[in-house]
Amino acid sequence: MNRPLLTVTGLSKHFGGLKAVDNVDFELFPEEILGILGPNGAGKTVCFNLICGVYKPTKGEVILDGQRIDGFSTNEIANLGVGRTFQIVKPFSSLTVLENVLVARGITRYNSLSKVWSVWQSSAEKKAALEILEHVGLADMANRKAGLLPLGYLRRLEIARALVVGSRIILLDESFSGLRPEEIGQLENLIQSIRQDGITVLLIEHNVRVTMGICDRIVVLDHGRKIAEGEPEAIQQNDRVIEAYLGRRRGKDAA
Amino acid sequence: MNAYVITIATIIVINAITVCGLNVIVGYAGQISLGHAAFVGIGAYSAALLSTKAGLSFWAALPIVIAICGFIGLLLGLPSLRVKDDFLAITTIGINFIVEAIFLYIPFFGGALGIGGIPRIMLFGMKVKGLVFFELCLVFLVLVLLICWWFTRSWAGLASFAVREEESAASSMGISPMRFKLLAFVIGTAIAGLGGALYAHYMRFISATDFSFPVSISLLSMLVLGGMGNLWAPLVGAVILGSLPEIFRPLVDYRILFYTVLLLLMIRFQPAGLLGEDSFARHVFSSVLPGGKK
Repeated sequence: MNRPLLTVTGLSKHFGGLKAVDNVDFELFPEEILGILGPNGAGKTVCFNLICGVYKPTKGEVILDGQRIDGFSTNEIANLGVGRTFQIVKPFSSLTVLENVLVARGITRYNSLSKVWSVWQSSAEKKAALEILEHVGLADMANRKAGLLPLGYLRRLEIARALVVGSRIILLDESFSGLRPEEIGQLENLIQSIRQDGITVLLIEHNVRVTMGICDRIVVLDHGRKIAEGEPEAIQQNDRVIEAYLGRRRGKDAA
Repeated sequence: MNAYVITIATIIVINAITVCGLNVIVGYAGQISLGHAAFVGIGAYSAALLSTKAGLSFWAALPIVIAICGFIGLLLGLPSLRVKDDFLAITTIGINFIVEAIFLYIPFFGGALGIGGIPRIMLFGMKVKGLVFFELCLVFLVLVLLICWWFTRSWAGLASFAVREEESAASSMGISPMRFKLLAFVIGTAIAGLGGALYAHYMRFISATDFSFPVSISLLSMLVLGGMGNLWAPLVGAVILGSLPEIFRPLVDYRILFYTVLLLLMIRFQPAGLLGEDSFARHVFSSVLPGGKK
């Protein structure tokens, strides 16, 4: 396999005595879909926030394409082509859906005090933003206020914004939670098509069925530690995973 | 127009300019400021000192005054914008009291006596006063409105809106929240400086109490009444809060009662301000008014 795009080594984040993430290693290879799976409180979102620069790791390294990025600020990491969504959706509520995407399109300008004075409502920018909305199936909603959309649309809006920013990697934080079954199907197709466009996807999920269905490889966390890593079939057979998570979960799903 | 009306109108326009600056900070970038009068004061005192002690003309002093206010805005914004919401409100109140105390207790700033004898503005060899001063203020108001309008259309403005709406999402899109908060703060304080300079040359006597905390509250009230984040809100708010006390002067004993009723009616029927989201005026004039809340 080729060189990893993102390497996480010995990643730890301690909040006082709580080891939210403890010595986690994994690699993300170009154009793959890697899932981070784990029960609630396993440290998945903390792991994401460490990669995105929301938290600074207590120990360990995050390396993006040969460059160490742990300790970088959130906006610096976004500038390196890492887009993300939030588990609890964070739309710019009083802006329209189109304007939400335009905010993300400004990423090439926000670092330069001379480039931020030009007009953002240009037709070329609007057209480009609309194309992205078409890609995620939100074109009809372009002129609605984002704050008025139902959750399923907001999840897609988050992905649209992440796609603009994430030219190399997009990180999806539980994008499937709270969705109806048909919406889950649409989102699975969307993620597959994103990968076909050459973008690497790292996703967090606690919905096992979805994760097994679309991920190439899976890393399983429990209580902040990595307990398994491998292809979906292998993960399904892994005793530690079943013990920590799948066993209970399967029982519930069957019921 | 008689002198009385011109005086009221001039003060209204100067307030509108000042509130435009506040709108950039509070309305566009979403950073509450309860100390805006301090920056108006810094502008007024700089203009007064530059004209009385350094002997500069209004026109020569104006760029310096605006630069001073922007720079002090940057210096004070750096530490204060690290905190949010209620804490930022308290910090900016603190700034207001400290700035007022500096004007009041340091002899260089005239102490309790303030600064008098501020010369009139000269334009084409003529003293600017009365109606001409009002018109000059109107020209500056139009300029400031143009700057604010351009800001809302620029990427800097869009970044500020994003920071106002959802800071963490904004930073995940490459926006440094601190940078754009500071930018808005500096633009806002620089505009306040312009308002202060006009005020100083209009009143020709200033003292620290002209820029005390209640003035900040009244500036913020104008903005809230007009509708935060709307381009025209400062003008609407300044006109209403500036003219009502004059119109209702015969009812002076009931003024507080009247304000209370007005406040309650606003909260009940137009919580986002007269030009705010879903307001009555917005529904009626939505096709006419450009540059609405974004």
